[in-house]
Amino acid sequence: MGKFNIILFFFAPLISFGQRLTIVKDTISANGDSVVVTATRSERKLSNITVPVTIINAKTIQQNGALRLTDILKEQTGLTMTSGFGAGVQLQGLNPDYTIILINGEPLVGRTAGVLDLNRIALGNIKKIEIVKGPSSSLYGSEAMAGVINIITDALTSIPLEAALRYGTYNTIDANLNNTMASKKLFYQGFYNYYNTDGYSIRPNSNNRVTTPITRLTSSQQFKYNLTENTNLVFNTRLTDEKIISNIAVSNGGVTIYSNGKEHNTDINLTGSLNHRFSNDLKTSFRSYLTNYVSNQDLLTLSGAPYTDLLNHLFQRVENQTDWMVSKKLTGIFGAGAVWEGVKSSRYDSEKVRKNNTIQYGFTQWEWTLMDKFIVIGGVRFDQNASYASAWSPKLSMLYKLNSQHKIKLSIGQGFKAPDFRQLYLDFTNAAAGNYSVFGSAEAQKVIGQLNSLGQIGSLYSSYYQLKSLQPESSTGVHLSWDWEPNPKTFISVQAFRNDIKNLIEVQQVGAYSSGAQIFSYLNIGRAYTQGLELETKYQWSPQWSLSGGYQFILTGDKDQIAEIKAGTVYTRDANGISSRLSLSDYVGLPNISKHKAQFKINYATQDGYFANCRLVYRSKWAVNNTNGNEVYDSGDSFAAGYLSMYSSAGKNFSNGISLQMGCDNMTNYVDANNLSNLPGRTFYFSIKYQLINKNK
Amino acid sequence: MKKLFTQTILATLVAFTLFACSKTSDTTVVNNTPVTATVKDLMADTVLGLDAKTGMPYSAGKYTFYSIENNTIVSNADSATTKWDLAFASTKILINGGTSGTGKGGAFIYKGLFEDIKTIAPDSVFKTDNAPTAYAITTGSGKGWYTYDGANNLITPIAGRILVIKTASGKYAKLEIQSYYKGGVTLSPTASDADKLTKQRYYTFRFTYQPNGTTTF
Repeated sequence: MGKFNIILFFFAPLISFGQRLTIVKDTISANGDSVVVTATRSERKLSNITVPVTIINAKTIQQNGALRLTDILKEQTGLTMTSGFGAGVQLQGLNPDYTIILINGEPLVGRTAGVLDLNRIALGNIKKIEIVKGPSSSLYGSEAMAGVINIITDALTSIPLEAALRYGTYNTIDANLNNTMASKKLFYQGFYNYYNTDGYSIRPNSNNRVTTPITRLTSSQQFKYNLTENTNLVFNTRLTDEKIISNIAVSNGGVTIYSNGKEHNTDINLTGSLNHRFSNDLKTSFRSYLTNYVSNQDLLTLSGAPYTDLLNHLFQRVENQTDWMVSKKLTGIFGAGAVWEGVKSSRYDSEKVRKNNTIQYGFTQWEWTLMDKFIVIGGVRFDQNASYASAWSPKLSMLYKLNSQHKIKLSIGQGFKAPDFRQLYLDFTNAAAGNYSVFGSAEAQKVIGQLNSLGQIGSLYSSYYQLKSLQPESSTGVHLSWDWEPNPKTFISVQAFRNDIKNLIEVQQVGAYSSGAQIFSYLNIGRAYTQGLELETKYQWSPQWSLSGGYQFILTGDKDQIAEIKAGTVYTRDANGISSRLSLSDYVGLPNISKHKAQFKINYATQDGYFANCRLVYRSKWAVNNTNGNEVYDSGDSFAAGYLSMYSSAGKNFSNGISLQMGCDNMTNYVDANNLSNLPGRTFYFSIKYQLINKNK
Repeated sequence: MKKLFTQTILATLVAFTLFACSKTSDTTVVNNTPVTATVKDLMADTVLGLDAKTGMPYSAGKYTFYSIENNTIVSNADSATTKWDLAFASTKILINGGTSGTGKGGAFIYKGLFEDIKTIAPDSVFKTDNAPTAYAITTGSGKGWYTYDGANNLITPIAGRILVIKTASGKYAKLEIQSYYKGGVTLSPTASDADKLTKQRYYTFRFTYQPNGTTTF
């Protein structure tokens, strides 16, 4: 705790800069006045947003006892957490690769196998999280194919000092310090988080920890300086540092190799922006951003053989965005920018050489209010780059307010995901499992050609000759939603969506070594779809009690596989190994997708600060493994069982600034070691928070 | 049945008329009824243990020879004869022909269902073994009769893959491999490592053999 005393000591003189306290109303009808920035890249009232948006506010995060981004996202309608390479988020049936994660509008990098581990993100200084569903590349470019998750930190908090400490099962400690100060010209906010857990083991008869001991530190600072009334400078820093101790047992052919490893991940984000308002109708913003994610895995096998794995992803961007209100009814935004990006990895040909890519892009969006009832937004973005084909991303969305109760939204947009560095440059041979190799498409022909001239290649497949410059994966999404507020206490939203995805990049065998070991590379071969329905409801039962719930039904499929099944060329096996023709009704679509997902929350909160809630999250079964010897997922394959998990928390916010809270996660102690490594058994926690409230209100 | 029987008699008579000169003392009654059988847990060079030094599994390194015609295992002493039709060792299956044997054996892999093969298409090409690079029953994951799942360390027969076989004596059979694991059921991905090691290399397959030398089953 010494560390925190020092920090407290350092900031104590600054605390006197306290600011006014504002109370944000959190009733259902007040949500329409919430401001959303992610949907249009400009501040808009939620009631005028033309695309599906979910807002999670700080109060919900606090009441749920959520610490990391995963904790809160898993309880949102239509969002599913994935395990493997960290905790990723599946949105509208698309894998974590296809959702861009932003902090204050700037993207996070450092994905492993396409997954950005959302446990990297501490929630202690979050003002709100905005989730835009559906393709949004018209504003955000690559990765915004399934949607956008934007984490907005608390720039305007009024609390000069807040300190929180939480202790829970598995020696999980989470300590937060928030500190703000403000004068007329200068505003400062600092956030420090320390997180430590011993990890846990949920495998029976095994000492192997499913989640290994982790220590994470996060610090973030935000400085805002008002040069003039219309001009300001903003400077943000964020640092996360994560240390993981992993004692891994790898079994191969009945032999188990134990290794002791250390993993060290750091993530640095620096943002600087100059914002100027020329007039009420015209403003511009210059932003520069630098982020560097460095992951270092150092495994020492007990046989003494070292194994290191390095990933270093550097991303730099400059951007200008200008907002111009032509008239009360017409607003346009223009943006242009450039990205310099590079990755060094021990899984490429040399970990010393950074593979680089540059991107230039421009976008524009026009918002036209035809009448108070009818808003149309159209936009387009063009991304051009050195390493793969360029992309146009248009989007059109509209909102029609039938009356004060009913709103209809329709949006059609295109999203894309650029081939990532792994798909372009991977140069990986798995010595632990059969010596197979995977080569990124940019270098596969060169590398395999060299191997061939050395006589190491046994055969080349026709797919080898199809290797060419990768295209971005792209999707076209259509969303229709209907929002209904029959009275100020009730909100109902029904949404239908469909995404058609093409040019999916898939791993394909392109040849074999003379030894017979396989050689893989990446090709644009897949076509798929996801479609579904979402239902969200909120009901303020009484001033104290509120209920909310959500449900998603989703169907997915690989279009090529469906065509093959219809042609009668896909087979399946029964338990005795007898083949039969697969019928379309036995096809389950894409793996890891649950057809049904639902959650329900009952919340109690009083004026004098007591609060309690109980949450249920349900997910139906999902296909995990192709076990019956065909390449499609069908009812004969192995599934993870559907499950219901339950969470609860209660606490009291005292008027002197102290808050106490206790909670229990996964109350029914549901575990599935093979398929849900991110879900520990039942855990308890207790937390205490102190907010220094400025009484000079 | 009666009609079929008459046809068979006629066909046999025609055949006898045609080959009467060369086949003077052939007294074998030609059986025209295809034989269908299921073979369970045929050991195919099963794992004997783990090498103390390398930790790698080891086995005797011997093929199991099988006669489709007689539906029986053939002694290893007869490996140089035409008594066997197929030889199994781990995932590799040899036919009695080409570099593997002295017989007329051959095979190809048909994509479809066992029941779909009523007659072998006239344009079918039976491949023979050409060790060590090419085998009539293609080796390797995804290329022949099985896929290997490296993550779970499991061999799964590919659904809808039928081995169409020419026996050592030049007759025809169709064969479907049902399982590579003891007990005839592919292990679950969550099975223990010990089971995955010791229960593998046990073939369960079904076949239909046409003893009359025609390509119709």
